[in-house]
Amino acid sequence: MKNAERGIISSYDMKKPLNKAVYVLMCIVVALMCVSMLYPIATALFNGLKANVEVNTFPPHFLPQEWHFDNYKKGWGFIDLTLYLKNTLFIFAGNMVVTVVVIGFAAFSLSRLDWPYRKAVYYFFLATLFIPPTTYIIPNFINLRDLHLMNTFWAFWLPAGANAFYLLLLKSFFDGINQELFEAFRVDGASEPRVFWQLAFPLSVPIFATLAIFVFAASWNDWFWPSMVMGGEHYPLATAIKKFVIDARRLDLNIRFAILTMIMIPPIAIFLIFQRFIVRGLHLGGVKG
Amino acid sequence: MNQTTAVAGQLSAETSRPRGRWRKYAWGYAFVLPAVAIFLLFLWLPIVKGIVFSFYHIDFVKGNSYVGLDNYKLIFKDPDVGTAVKNTLYYMFLCIVIGFWVPILFAISISELRRFQGFARVAAYLPYVVPVVVLYGLWRWLYDPVGPFNAALEKIGIAPISFMTDKSWSMISIVIMETWQQFGSAMLIYLAAILSIPRDWYEAAEIDGAGVWRRIWHVTLPSIRNQIGLMLLLQLIGTSQGYQSQLAMLDGGPNNTTLTYALYIVKYAFNNFNYGVASALGVLMFLVLGVLAVIQHRLSNRGGNAA
Repeated sequence: MKNAERGIISSYDMKKPLNKAVYVLMCIVVALMCVSMLYPIATALFNGLKANVEVNTFPPHFLPQEWHFDNYKKGWGFIDLTLYLKNTLFIFAGNMVVTVVVIGFAAFSLSRLDWPYRKAVYYFFLATLFIPPTTYIIPNFINLRDLHLMNTFWAFWLPAGANAFYLLLLKSFFDGINQELFEAFRVDGASEPRVFWQLAFPLSVPIFATLAIFVFAASWNDWFWPSMVMGGEHYPLATAIKKFVIDARRLDLNIRFAILTMIMIPPIAIFLIFQRFIVRGLHLGGVKG
Repeated sequence: MNQTTAVAGQLSAETSRPRGRWRKYAWGYAFVLPAVAIFLLFLWLPIVKGIVFSFYHIDFVKGNSYVGLDNYKLIFKDPDVGTAVKNTLYYMFLCIVIGFWVPILFAISISELRRFQGFARVAAYLPYVVPVVVLYGLWRWLYDPVGPFNAALEKIGIAPISFMTDKSWSMISIVIMETWQQFGSAMLIYLAAILSIPRDWYEAAEIDGAGVWRRIWHVTLPSIRNQIGLMLLLQLIGTSQGYQSQLAMLDGGPNNTTLTYALYIVKYAFNNFNYGVASALGVLMFLVLGVLAVIQHRLSNRGGNAA
């Protein structure tokens, strides 16, 4: 039992006072780290519940002296959050469909079907990973303009299918599925689309769940790119918040924090519920810094 | 690997019937075709256009006109490009000095925790989940001249710091903010690697008389060498393209101290509407970063084989 429990430090080491002192110090440092991670998040939450005067007092208090829950109501009314939330979810749903259909089928074909020049096509996809996206951000913008996709949701949905990283993740997952299962399906006379929908896709739900979290995080987080390709009424939440809340000149700090808390809660909740998939995604990729 | 024999078997069976073979390949091509089209249209086309545009003056109204190397000449004469390159290098440097060792340190520490390991892991990762726009709003307030940081400094008797507007602090403040947000994800990768090190190795090292520090130095760190190399490169690739925090927090100011190269590209396009020069800046950046990306691929392949 001791063997299973030991890490770098063994129970024997702990008997030496110096090691013990260092270990205690290390625990304190980790505890401090936890506090410094949670403190700013908590201040955002509590500032959203204070009176505006109290947010602006120096030195700041951590907990509110009076609790103002009506800040949330005011914040909700300050900008049309429902509209932007709907846009965000719309973008997420479309991106996910494209990811499953376009990238899913392509990964399946590369992994499980046999055809000439497969390797060449694989490198055609893979090579895009070597080109840092910032280097073609401007031509990308002009390209969308030339294709008349500006200010439509297609400007997000279609390029969502051009993600070599997701393709790679899916392909390596399909590679790991037992080949005999596919053969059995084909012997039974299933067509390839049926093999995908009834075998490959259901078996790959975990990896698609991981991708869904990535895609959701991207649609919830991205503010700069949508601000370039979209007009006001099509903004996703992040862009709307950046433009109308963060950059707002006349907005009380407490209301601002109430709005920020509202858009911070959903991703945190999703993270706490789906931790497993997220951590798996990190291991699988190991590359998405 | 074991499917190659199956594939070879299929191939030899099918070569005698070309039409049947074509029908067999049809699904393969049909499945991959939409992705090929989208990659062409939304990745390769912009990439090629970027190179072409760098020789043009882009005008949405009157149409584009060929200007030869004028865009590049302009870039090499522009003193702000030099500033932007210097700022980017400084930013990359700060990210390593302030941020790179943090996840390694905490991964080792957290792996040693006997209790609350799960909690520490979640706490460290939590900021990564906070949307970046919230991050900007939150840290603007934390860095405020009368915000919590300065309140804490006052309490311990240090003169207040203008984290955002002081020229020598602005970039450091941004790096601290980003480290706070991002170290958790790197930490989880290191932690997974550390936890997969066989415990017997430590046992053996201990029997050989190695103290705790020497076990970390000679067992733990060498075992996660691949991850460290990979994360270093990924960080360099990522930070060399950084511009969003600088844009959102300070818009490149004060006095261009947070104007990074990528931010300059964006500004050239959307403040000056000079898309040709912006494309040329992108091409130059690609030439430098492409080398880094190839090294990363080499390294990550080696890491995969070793693990």
